[in-house]
Amino acid sequence: MPRPNHPLVQEFLDSWVYPVGFSGPGVEFRLRMTARCLPIWNGATARAAKTSAADQQNPSEEWKVERALAGYALEGPQMSIKQMATQLLSVSIPMQEQYIDLQRMRARQVWDELKHGQLNADVLLRGGWIKREDDLMEDVRANAQDNLAYFGLTSMFLHLHPLARAAQNYFVEAIAYLGITAALQAIDDPLIRHQMRSQQLEELMHFMEGKYQIDAYALRAEDQKPIEEAFDFLLKPWATRMSVAFGGREQGASG
Amino acid sequence: MAERADVVAIHVDHEACTECRMCYVVCREIDLNAVVIGPDPLHRFEIDMGRCLYPGCTTCLMYCPSPGSIVETVSGRSLVPPPPEAWVEARRWARVAS
Repeated sequence: MPRPNHPLVQEFLDSWVYPVGFSGPGVEFRLRMTARCLPIWNGATARAAKTSAADQQNPSEEWKVERALAGYALEGPQMSIKQMATQLLSVSIPMQEQYIDLQRMRARQVWDELKHGQLNADVLLRGGWIKREDDLMEDVRANAQDNLAYFGLTSMFLHLHPLARAAQNYFVEAIAYLGITAALQAIDDPLIRHQMRSQQLEELMHFMEGKYQIDAYALRAEDQKPIEEAFDFLLKPWATRMSVAFGGREQGASG
Repeated sequence: MAERADVVAIHVDHEACTECRMCYVVCREIDLNAVVIGPDPLHRFEIDMGRCLYPGCTTCLMYCPSPGSIVETVSGRSLVPPPPEAWVEARRWARVAS
């Protein structure tokens, strides 16, 4: 008998994953991939809830700084320019007629990710932990993240299928949304809540882009293959590391 | 899908909408084109009830990521996230490879 889902994951499934506007091979493929994502979604959500509850009890303010630095490193230029902007180039000119809306979604996400980076800089500025955003250039925690360079962190990956990124939108953005949702249940600091609430619905939007792209476009085996390969990669335990500040495991930790 | 006489008016709640344009993309993909960019200075999305088939078609609701942003006009009922009766098999558009 399968283990029950974390309550937040179950709510996410019922509200955002299972409602579907199409029928056909894309939807069937997505639901198969969903079953593969669920153990990770559940584990990540449980860890985010646990970390957030611990942060809420922590009298030090260092956890706020750690969260904002980790968010700044993960979002902003890291996600917007290195990932999203280069992913725009995965749609070749002959494919633009078919995937023009996919390009528009990515263009919007470039802007979203920039805002998310800025939100974390705002936390650090308003909290008085930095005087200017430039100060972050001196702190390696604001500039390094340890996810592997999966499809599109650099411009070297122009050969990728335009739909491959749908796996990242579906799998990783769900974790971002669930993590923020779990944190909002525990944390009452107004500065941190402002940042998370500003970001939360856009993470859900990015998830929804992946859901739509798979349902609507991944209709043939040759379209599903590059997406499934991306899922294969992302679902490996070493591929996508959740930041320790958001509940990820310390290097070398088990469980 | 619904006959026009069965159509129930819905609209975008701009207080909740994040202008992500998923509804616009979805509606155009199924060739209804009932979501339009309004002519106001903010270029917000609006639903053209001259084209929309709700509740016969509920596809945009399935990909809208912003709770409360599409509502039934008369009842005021939120349709996002979509209520269970909105995503039954009969309301889905079949997608097959061309």
